[in-house]
Amino acid sequence: MQVREVMSTDVISAKRSTKLRELLNSFKNFHIFPLVPVIEENNRLVGVVSFRNLIDAFRSYHPDVLRLVPFLDEEDQDIFKIDVSEGIGDLVVVEDLMEHEYVSLTDDTLVEEAYDLMRLHLKEELAVTDKAGKLVGRIGVFDILKAVFRHKGII
Amino acid sequence: MNTVLGLGFILFAGLLSAKLVKKIGFPAVTAYLLLGIIIGPSLLKVVPKAVLASSGLISNIVLGIIAFGIGQNFSRYQMRRIGRSVLWISVLEACGAWILVTAIFYLILRQPFYLSMLFGSIASATAPAATVMVIREYRAKGNFTDTLLGVVAIDDAWCLIIFAVSLAIAQAIYAYQVAPFFLLKVLGESLLSIGGAFVLGALSAFLLSVLYRFIHTPTELLILTMGLVFINIGIAIWLNLSVLLASMFLGTVLVNINRYSFKFFDSLKMIASPLFLLFFVLAGANLEVQVLGSIGMLGLFYLIFRVVGKMLGANLGARIAHASTSVRKYLSYALVPQAGVALGCALIAKNDFPEVGNIIFTTIVATTVIYELFGPLLTKYALRKAGDIIV
Repeated sequence: MQVREVMSTDVISAKRSTKLRELLNSFKNFHIFPLVPVIEENNRLVGVVSFRNLIDAFRSYHPDVLRLVPFLDEEDQDIFKIDVSEGIGDLVVVEDLMEHEYVSLTDDTLVEEAYDLMRLHLKEELAVTDKAGKLVGRIGVFDILKAVFRHKGII
Repeated sequence: MNTVLGLGFILFAGLLSAKLVKKIGFPAVTAYLLLGIIIGPSLLKVVPKAVLASSGLISNIVLGIIAFGIGQNFSRYQMRRIGRSVLWISVLEACGAWILVTAIFYLILRQPFYLSMLFGSIASATAPAATVMVIREYRAKGNFTDTLLGVVAIDDAWCLIIFAVSLAIAQAIYAYQVAPFFLLKVLGESLLSIGGAFVLGALSAFLLSVLYRFIHTPTELLILTMGLVFINIGIAIWLNLSVLLASMFLGTVLVNINRYSFKFFDSLKMIASPLFLLFFVLAGANLEVQVLGSIGMLGLFYLIFRVVGKMLGANLGARIAHASTSVRKYLSYALVPQAGVALGCALIAKNDFPEVGNIIFTTIVATTVIYELFGPLLTKYALRKAGDIIV
């Protein structure tokens, strides 16, 4: 079974220039904040944003800059106390939050491999692209479990 | 105190002292180092002998892990992202300190050339922890802050290269006890140590990348990465190659051949923090307080000319890259702190050159404490002058 048979194709994506406020508004009615693929004009996948990255809105620089630096103290910022202006909803854009290095799959990957990759990288959702790197869908652990249950005749 | 109790005590006391020191605005590194000096054999004498004896082992492992991480700086993505001014300023401030300290030690203090060069190369390091702490505390933002973060992030990579090259040359000069210049043999041995490290690092990276296919869980990934980093370090020691460069090249080659290489580095981060703590406390504990008195002029000249070298280099780099006036004038003030990489290099020098190693190590530990105490104040001054914080 390949990923394309199991993935969901209706994906809400964002652009690098999407503002934080717009991003949050698109998921206003969802229970959770899903993995949001970030694409360029030609649909090419360039990054992902998850709810963990939203915390970076409170930082004054992109955490990627310091990812490689040894001996850095962890930042223990208290998001309840940080004083930020309402303006950050329009000032912070997806480019400031997204992960540039991320795990993604091509749609011809085997579902077993996809599941292994999620387990190894501790991810519950991954973006799916075609061979050319264009976004075609999204797959989560739940999609895979559903497929397994269906395959075993449980649902 | 038995060994295990000693280790436990160090971890526990380290955590407490870091929390305490953070409250008054200094990075954890300062706390670990001071703790080490206080509980070490020179003062309270509570660190067990067996723990002290393991300093070399721990520093080799920690330096290997750090160099492995620093190797990632040379990925295609990072190289594309890094700006012209960051590149020029970081290369020239590192080389500025290297060349100036070497020259001053050799020409004015009349130290042997290999010793001068070791001091010079260690001077090129800059510790980002204190700088980043100030940036975070005051939520500094702006062009100056961006350039500064870029420079402190890549600086350690230049330092590792500079130190590895200097160490190889110093070892060759030391071994033959001959004049430092125009010697083919010196050059040949240095190239062998560096080239060999590259080949070893690259081979390990390919092996790691191949074995990655058989890995299914995060635990296995951690074990595999750790195992190969250790094997790489071990073979480098065995073959007399540059340990730092072998680890760095492992990271560099890996990041350029494996799409998910960032996962290898992330997995090591989980176990690195307690090792880093031990490394710093033991660095402090290895300081012989009685040697402090004998460093006198060496320490003073190092303290001053490292900063002057960085200032001249950063200024020149900023001019070449046409950076803003504030970057040109004030950035070097924020490059004063030194810590982990400098200490690590000093430990290597201490092991490789038993006769002069103690002087190098003591000078670096003592100046580190001074730099780390004044560094945050200077960083704050620079950020305020540049207009990136309003205090």
